[in-house]
Amino acid sequence: MSRKTYKTIALLLGISGVAVVTVCIAWLIAVEISANRREPVEKARLETLVDLSDEEPAELETLYAERDRQTQSRLQRTSRVETASYVLIVSAVLFLVGFKWFVALRGRRLPDINRVNPQRAGCKGGNNRPVLKSGTCPSAGAPCDAQEAAPADLSFVDQAIKGIGRGPEAVIPILNAIQGHYHYLPEAALRHVCQTTEITPAQITGVASFYNHFRRMPGGRHSVKVCHGTACHVAGAQNITDEIRRYLRIDPGQDTDAERLFTVEKVACLGCCTLAPVVQIDGITYGHLTPDTAPAILEDFLAQSESEAGKHDGRPIVKLSAADKHGEIRVGLGSCCVAGGSGKVYTALQQALSETNAAAAIKRVGCVGMCHRTPLVEAITPDGTSSLYAGVNAADAKAIVRRHFKAPSITKRIGNAASALVDDLLSDHQRRFIAHHSIEVRDPPVAAFLGPQKHIATEHCGRLDPTDLDEYIRLDGFQAFERCVKELAPEQVIQEIERSGLRGRGGAGFPTARKWARVCQAGGELKYVVCNGDEGDPGAFMDRMLMESFPYRIIEGMAIAAYAVGAENGYFYIRAEYPLAVQRISEAILECERRNILGDNILGTHRKLRLRIMQGAGAFVCGEETALLASIEGRRGSPRLRPPYPAENGLWGKPTLVNNVETYAAVPWIIRHAAEAFAALGTATSKGTKVFALAGKIKRGGLIEVPMGITIRQIVEEIGGGIKEDRRFKAVQIGGPSGGCIPAYSADTPIDFDALTHAGAIMGSGGLVVLDETDCMVDIAHYFLSFTQNQSCGKCTFCRIGTRRMLDILERLRTGQGRRRDLESLEALAHSVKHGSLCGLGRTAPNPVLTTLRYFHDEYEAHLEGRCPAGKCPALITYRVTDACTGCTLCAQHCPAEAIAFTPYVKHEIDAEKCTRCDICRIKCPEDAIEVT
Amino acid sequence: MPRVVIDSQKVEVPAGNTILDAARKLGLDIPALCHLDGHPPGTSCMLCLVRVKGRDRLVPSCATLVEEGMEIESESAHVRSLRRTGLELLLADHAGDCIAPCQNVCPAGMDIPSMLRQIAGNRWDDAIVTIRKDIALPAILGRACPELCERGCRLGDIGRPASICMLKRFVADRDLASSTPHLPACQPPSGKSVAILGAGPTGLAAAYHLLLAGHACTLFDERGLPGGSLRTEFDSQQLPPEVIDAEVGVIARLGAGFRMGVCVGRDVSLAGLREEFDAVLVAVGKVTAENAKMLDMRVAKDHLLVNRQTQQTELKGVFAAGRAARPGKLVVRNVADGKRAAVCIDQYLSGVPVTGPQDEFHYRLRHVDSDEATALAPITNQTSKPAPPPNVMEGLTPQQAMTEAARCLHCDCALARTCRLRHYARVYGANPDRYQGGRKTLRRHLEHADVIYEPGKCILCGLCVQIASEAGEPLGLTFVGRGFDVRVEVPFNRSIADGLQHAARLCAEACPTGALVLRTDGCQAGLCGSVEPPRGAQAPAP
Repeated sequence: MSRKTYKTIALLLGISGVAVVTVCIAWLIAVEISANRREPVEKARLETLVDLSDEEPAELETLYAERDRQTQSRLQRTSRVETASYVLIVSAVLFLVGFKWFVALRGRRLPDINRVNPQRAGCKGGNNRPVLKSGTCPSAGAPCDAQEAAPADLSFVDQAIKGIGRGPEAVIPILNAIQGHYHYLPEAALRHVCQTTEITPAQITGVASFYNHFRRMPGGRHSVKVCHGTACHVAGAQNITDEIRRYLRIDPGQDTDAERLFTVEKVACLGCCTLAPVVQIDGITYGHLTPDTAPAILEDFLAQSESEAGKHDGRPIVKLSAADKHGEIRVGLGSCCVAGGSGKVYTALQQALSETNAAAAIKRVGCVGMCHRTPLVEAITPDGTSSLYAGVNAADAKAIVRRHFKAPSITKRIGNAASALVDDLLSDHQRRFIAHHSIEVRDPPVAAFLGPQKHIATEHCGRLDPTDLDEYIRLDGFQAFERCVKELAPEQVIQEIERSGLRGRGGAGFPTARKWARVCQAGGELKYVVCNGDEGDPGAFMDRMLMESFPYRIIEGMAIAAYAVGAENGYFYIRAEYPLAVQRISEAILECERRNILGDNILGTHRKLRLRIMQGAGAFVCGEETALLASIEGRRGSPRLRPPYPAENGLWGKPTLVNNVETYAAVPWIIRHAAEAFAALGTATSKGTKVFALAGKIKRGGLIEVPMGITIRQIVEEIGGGIKEDRRFKAVQIGGPSGGCIPAYSADTPIDFDALTHAGAIMGSGGLVVLDETDCMVDIAHYFLSFTQNQSCGKCTFCRIGTRRMLDILERLRTGQGRRRDLESLEALAHSVKHGSLCGLGRTAPNPVLTTLRYFHDEYEAHLEGRCPAGKCPALITYRVTDACTGCTLCAQHCPAEAIAFTPYVKHEIDAEKCTRCDICRIKCPEDAIEVT
Repeated sequence: MPRVVIDSQKVEVPAGNTILDAARKLGLDIPALCHLDGHPPGTSCMLCLVRVKGRDRLVPSCATLVEEGMEIESESAHVRSLRRTGLELLLADHAGDCIAPCQNVCPAGMDIPSMLRQIAGNRWDDAIVTIRKDIALPAILGRACPELCERGCRLGDIGRPASICMLKRFVADRDLASSTPHLPACQPPSGKSVAILGAGPTGLAAAYHLLLAGHACTLFDERGLPGGSLRTEFDSQQLPPEVIDAEVGVIARLGAGFRMGVCVGRDVSLAGLREEFDAVLVAVGKVTAENAKMLDMRVAKDHLLVNRQTQQTELKGVFAAGRAARPGKLVVRNVADGKRAAVCIDQYLSGVPVTGPQDEFHYRLRHVDSDEATALAPITNQTSKPAPPPNVMEGLTPQQAMTEAARCLHCDCALARTCRLRHYARVYGANPDRYQGGRKTLRRHLEHADVIYEPGKCILCGLCVQIASEAGEPLGLTFVGRGFDVRVEVPFNRSIADGLQHAARLCAEACPTGALVLRTDGCQAGLCGSVEPPRGAQAPAP
């Protein structure tokens, strides 16, 4: 029986219970009334008879008869009342049970925090997809309605080509546009592109098949993206995927269900690591899922989209000018917060403000960093006091507004007070809200989270409106750029950077000034600066947050670099999976051009700088600079041998500076505060700060910026607050798939390029995932290697085949089929791949394997013997019910694989064949009667 | 001109040259499969890695320019082991055999696919040449062979194997029955002579191959007629004496001397033979205590003590082969042994170190599923249900033989002789099984009139993609997919004939493996014997 049937039964039960209860009560009342009415009459009659019988003994008979009759009828009535009362009680119980059941079934819909609408005004999904504009469409394409555009109609293609261009470099933007429009790449459209542009069939086929983002077959109406980032992986993303696929009955090898309603894809990282595991359906993000709740979100999504059909969601966001208002409410609108529901909170706050007419401005700010408590709202009253609320619901908006802000007019205030009173009477919401959400910066956990941090790249985080150029300028923005352009020679700028000791933040840590100097000294008129925003590591979302929260700062850093090296053109290379970042950067570029910060007459100096955005299309390898440049040129993102370095021979053969987002973000601070201030932070060889995405089995995750030299232990224990559920801290995975695992006993390793490399990891772009005792290191190595193996461009032998063969060995170990010499062979092959691969991806891909082999060799050996000490590898563990089972049936009710028979009051059994090791039964069991061996 | 040192050899090359150029100038054969002179370096095979002193990483020599004073390490153990691993990885994803499985299991190593193609092509004279190249007694083996080759035949995976043995016999009988039976050409006389004790299958085969190499041979046997066990172990129904006589006749016509009825140890002594002849081969069949005593040689169980690799006994210049040197009595193995002993004796007589036949590198597909085997079938327009084998030789018409031969799947590689991957795999001693796992699918595209494309053998060097693009092919070729699944295809799933309209020959010539071969190469594929210097590996510059 489906849940719907259960729901109907429950509802019927409840309704019939109510009906019977009502009838009983009515009847009882009627009986009581009639009894009350009859009693005096009967009493009178009896008295009359008594009187009569006194006089006439013959009447005595009648008196007795009457008395008997009355006693009889009273007894009868009493027994009827008794029966009715029983019926009443039983039906009341029925009613309660029915409704409880109904409510319980309904309650399997996810609570509000898990289902959130990101800003529909953005380009991500939604039915009101904006039409492609001027070549830079940020629409990243969740298929919504595959039928909406028949591939036969190719006028869109012409339009897109017209907007984008006809050169070979236009191929990826054109494909992005086609994918955005048709939700896949119809072959007719590709042929049409070849006919009308310089793009050749070989080029378009090669490129279209290289990037993950492009689909060659039409998908379902809705796209279900299951995040397989590191944090989601350790939180059980594979079980979620399996469950959703099972629920939709998707066959192996397929990704779309039979009704073509949903296409299920694994994605590298949605950047909501603190909500792990996360699934995104079209634009809607669901977090904290379990295999148990995962199918429910599909129903929920459909219900949601039905109820929202026809409703226009892209409501324009009214921007109130600060001058008229007396206070400010800041809402975090980084992707994490958006995924946490801040879009909804934002709308609710707006509504609350307009209803109460309170004197406050509402402001979007970038990422606050405390992603573990999203969405965050900060209220600043006219007197400047600030109150921070975490984990806010849309329903809380009114309360926040009422608590801190008053309406200017007296009548309105009285009205508000009255309505508040009514609200309070009707619910206890406000009290609960205050107790739950308000946090103080002075709170020890918050202080510990924020205390050791140092904000340079993320300066003013939580205060700055990402889209407000004036505010950025007010907070010293573009001061550094102006100083460079007007006071410093390019060489002086480079010297300043050199003195600061800044090293590239993209992973390898190449000294930034040396790179700049090379480009500066390279000959030729035409030079380029490129911002590498192709952050693809699972478990890393720093660059995304920086681009979303501080677009002007990155532009400023890039402008300074362009000035220093003498470039007049620049590219942002941003993943198409980051639509909000694309949108924010492109808006910021337009705004800067409007104000002559960029363009043909920079700050009145007649210097030129044009920045453009190039969207990637889902290939991790494009983070490698030569692959990135190939991608901008419209080729497959295959790296080439360096030297020659891009500094001499880069984009279209011209000298090109490629730096990471975070590197550029640090530049303005260095120029403004002098190099020495930056160099004062950190260690001998690693200066300044580093931004990390802290996630995993940690109490407080989020985006943090810490000074170099801080130890891993400080990050885990002080900032992160230690391990969740007080489990044992096992290791940190640092640097993503190119990095390695550092065990807990080496946690005093400082955050320093060289110290981390020495430990076998790398600084990487900044993913930091904390692992606890329940994480299997062989599984972790397998996870990262399967990522790099999947993302390998396939050009060189060692990476293409070597990583695959390493993965084969890990797969054998994970499934208990390890062979005697597998560990030696794995290690030897890992070293060969490290030495023999062409680019950084292949050279670093073995790191997760080598570090786990080095620090957790005993776990590998256990797998050789067919054991998984952490109890993680599905093939090596079994679930069993112990004698502690009380037969409560909870496990049977929740088992998604129907591996547990429904046997009330009897000890349950798990069918090992059907069991998918999803762990739900163990979580659900109130008696701890599930044993994993 | 920059001067560099490679493995402590100094060399001077013009600026702008690569390390590979410099190494070639020194005569070093660095494997560079994805490199072709005149094209930008591919840096995809990564086999040409070298270590440059002072750099922390190995660099591909094909793309690294020489700099003054560079010190380069090319043949060190580490570099060589990496190259070997690279080759092993390429082989771990290789869908194609070097030589056909039938030839692989044939103890005599006969080039069966070539024979079948020649039969199917009505080229009977070529077919007997192919057979006689490796098999001394084809008509006999055609009757006495246990048909090992047919057990290797891939047609067996999808139906009935090709009747290889029967066809071989048909060709041999036809040849012997003709007015001018084929007589292979012998090398000029070397002036050396060999005494062969025993005129059984081993001795006859050894004599045949020694005669072809130009050495004079005399066979000694105590029996009256040559043939040894052939005359005793088979009934005359199965192996008529006339067939044995005919085959012995061929060997006699090549110049063999027969001294029948002579018992070594009784009539002549081994010591005497050793003085009279330059070498002696003992091929007397099963060694009994009695004749061992006569030979005065040491015996293990029922055979002589020999070096299995070189067939040499303890006595200098005395070799032993066949049943005399090992247990087992398959005729085909004896014939193969005879051939092997002939190679060893030839080496001995030529004064080169006796190493036995050179071990060739053979890549073998471990498992071919029936889908793959079926997909290969269209090359011969295979009908789904082949006709049952004509099991009686009598009445088999040449036409029937041709039809049967045409069923061959041509599992052998057209480029087996000149494949650079095979060459280096042998040079570096690569173990093709070290990293076995999932591999490409075995497929063969035959749409093109000039070339055959087998994507399973492609190592993704990209030369054909580049050449097609430079040649202005309207469709050309492109890499499709990413990572382990990258393959070279024609855009929009079009056929190879659409993709390569005029650059096919250039592309096939550039292909370092047998992935893209000219159809003419395919026809000559039968001639794969020894590994010759690979095509494309440049000779050292003058």
